[in-house]
Amino acid sequence: MIHSSGNGMMSSSAASSSVGNSQSPGLKTYFKTPEGRYKLHFEKTHPAGLLHYAHGKAVTQVTLAQLKEKPAQLPPTPTGSSSAGGVRSAAARLLGGGNGSRALSFVGGNGASKAVAGSSRIGSMGVSSSSGSALCSNYDGKGTFLIFNVGDTVFISDFNSQDKDPIKSIHFSNSNPVCHAFDADAKDGHDLLIGLNSGDVYSVSLRQQLQDVGKKLVGAQHYNRDGSVNSSRCTSVAWVLEGDGAFVVTHADGNLYVYEKGKDGTGDSSFPVIKDQTQFSVAHARSSKSNPVSRWHICQGSINSISFSADGAYIATVGRDGYLRVFDYSKEQLICGVKSYYGALLCCAWSMDGKYILTGGEDDLVQVWSMDERKVVAWGEGHNSWVSGVSFDPFWSSPTSEGDVESVMYRFGSVGQDTQLLLWDLVMDELVVPLRRPSGGSPTFSTGSQSAHWDTLTPVGTLQPAPSMRDVPKLSPLVAHRVHNEPLSDLIFTQESVLTACREGHIKIWMRPAHCENQSSSSENVLSNSLKEKPLLSSKVGSYKQ
Amino acid sequence: MHNIDAHEFLNFLLNELVDILEKESQAAKGSSETSSPSEKIANGPRNLQVNGVQKEPLITWVHKNFQGILTNETRCLRCETVTARDETFFDLSLDIEQNSSITSCLKNFSSTETLNAEDKFFCDKCCSLQEAQKRMKIKKPPHILVIHLKRFKYIEQLGRYKKLSYRVVFPLELKLSNTMEDSDSEYSLFAVVVHVGSGPNHGHYVSLVKSHNHWLFFDDENVEMIDESAVQTFFGSSQEYSSNTDHGYILFYESIASDNKS
Ligand SMILES: [Zn+2]
Repeated sequence: MIHSSGNGMMSSSAASSSVGNSQSPGLKTYFKTPEGRYKLHFEKTHPAGLLHYAHGKAVTQVTLAQLKEKPAQLPPTPTGSSSAGGVRSAAARLLGGGNGSRALSFVGGNGASKAVAGSSRIGSMGVSSSSGSALCSNYDGKGTFLIFNVGDTVFISDFNSQDKDPIKSIHFSNSNPVCHAFDADAKDGHDLLIGLNSGDVYSVSLRQQLQDVGKKLVGAQHYNRDGSVNSSRCTSVAWVLEGDGAFVVTHADGNLYVYEKGKDGTGDSSFPVIKDQTQFSVAHARSSKSNPVSRWHICQGSINSISFSADGAYIATVGRDGYLRVFDYSKEQLICGVKSYYGALLCCAWSMDGKYILTGGEDDLVQVWSMDERKVVAWGEGHNSWVSGVSFDPFWSSPTSEGDVESVMYRFGSVGQDTQLLLWDLVMDELVVPLRRPSGGSPTFSTGSQSAHWDTLTPVGTLQPAPSMRDVPKLSPLVAHRVHNEPLSDLIFTQESVLTACREGHIKIWMRPAHCENQSSSSENVLSNSLKEKPLLSSKVGSYKQ
Repeated sequence: MHNIDAHEFLNFLLNELVDILEKESQAAKGSSETSSPSEKIANGPRNLQVNGVQKEPLITWVHKNFQGILTNETRCLRCETVTARDETFFDLSLDIEQNSSITSCLKNFSSTETLNAEDKFFCDKCCSLQEAQKRMKIKKPPHILVIHLKRFKYIEQLGRYKKLSYRVVFPLELKLSNTMEDSDSEYSLFAVVVHVGSGPNHGHYVSLVKSHNHWLFFDDENVEMIDESAVQTFFGSSQEYSSNTDHGYILFYESIASDNKS
């Protein structure tokens, strides 16, 4: 038990866990939900005395990365396609988070079976009370790591250790690192992407960084060197699912680039001038030798966050212009989109089954977009400031799943600049559409059709205007908990915990109720139990309607 | 007390402008009364403003741009009578909280408040002081919405004013749905008055103004172009003691015609 000195409140309420933070006066170390208490398990942060001028310029983002045993071995393949699909959807949702520029992102495997291995290790290690003893000192073995940026540094912490301090720091001298992504199934060594404020992007091997004792990036491949292709700030990086090393980078000027890992990019990497800044356009590289291979101009102003659907088929973007856009990735086609109530959108995330997209932004609302219905089906009201992170909880299953499976369907979370973590239940049957005026005011805008209606699908590629306040059902949060002292930047759900991070680089790990009460239970049991529960969701994987 | 407060100055300026415009108008009216009908026609455009009912207050460009109407609704908890009183405003003064947004401050501004104990309401129907519920709603939104953040607060324990450096985020676009029923009309931020300094008694003002789609930073005689994203450096600080003392103090939003609406 590690108790913080000089903080009586924390010590008394954290007696059962190893909370070693003294920076959170007045913050509770647990929060209650209908299914039980979530307890603060441990925290991760960076060494004190960091250069403060760097703060604020780069908001901390976190990637949770899973390293496998070094001799590449295939993890056990689960029997039964349905359970594989279920876990795949869950883990891949996490992957989607990792792809986006969301602050916290868990990166699981790409394939179904590999993702199972990923989540099982998170599970088994997350409750481990040993502090990193399972790790080989030379980092040849498996492990789970938190990668997060603060100021001009990328820190790496051992997620399985309750040690607050990072095990590694990588210093960038030219520009601040602002976003990163990890691919557990990268074919060659490079599995970690890091995007900089200058627009530069690096791919490296995470293991190689861990094995190096220096404070510099080692063995890196450099893309968009000195902003030669695009000099605006990177806003997010993401690996393309089963994309053979392809990855995408978004920028503050509304452009997205597709790169191929390890390709030097000797060819002409210039793209034609964008004729209309407000229109979506795709340009391919003139030379097969160039890297990036294509440019998508998505919007005017910054792309703030992206998220791939669990199956990798779709990519959602949100940005300064307030629009959520959904693209068919391989067809390079805009499918649908909608404007925020007002202001920029800051974050987005898919549901495991690809049916819903959450967005959050400067209107303080958590928005739920239905891919089936092509409309906003709910606005979550509860944040007192901008919503900076959203995520579905892929490991949550309805407690009433025996009787009425139809009713409670989704649990999701959101974090905001109000320092709060909110949890929500999305119960489609209970959503009541407010009264609509008979005269016009239909929220669904469709070009050329004045009689556009809620139930009418709009043509492919139509961007809908902001819905009216009276037309969208409202949700209230299940739980609202102040988790940090600083504005939050994102959250992630793992099988056994919820992670929250603030803009300044403090990360808290909250154990789920079942794991709080029975921490000594075999992690293998925990895993197999949750696998049994998952087929409920699996049947919906990939059941897109267009 | 702080000596030169930008909010006080804004109020002074707008009221002074109204005074001048009214005097000008009266002078024009006075001269038109002594003039012949032909001269009246010649002076047509100026006289149009005073051709209405004599006691009607003059609607100046200041009113047209800045004036909105608030409804102060009070419901007596004994007889349930609702008393609605309209009042005009040139700006909204909002109480602020740490790590909040303008949206949230506006929500609090129009939230229901219970008047009780020392602060009871005199109900005309009951003819006595009664407990009541009070609510502020915007009845008519102004064309230009001026939002004043109450960053200078009197702290009783200290016996003086203190500057609140709270982080209060303001979006570049805003809607008033929380303070108005049935309104989805949108505003766009075009100017910010920033107070620089740690206390209420000293400091400096700078401003950000959007002109021809570019943000300009005004600091005395220095003017420079800044990126739109730089606006967020003036939100305030999430920690009480911070080296950042440049805080958004007065926000100017302009109503924009809603696009794509049927
Ligand atoms: Zn009464």
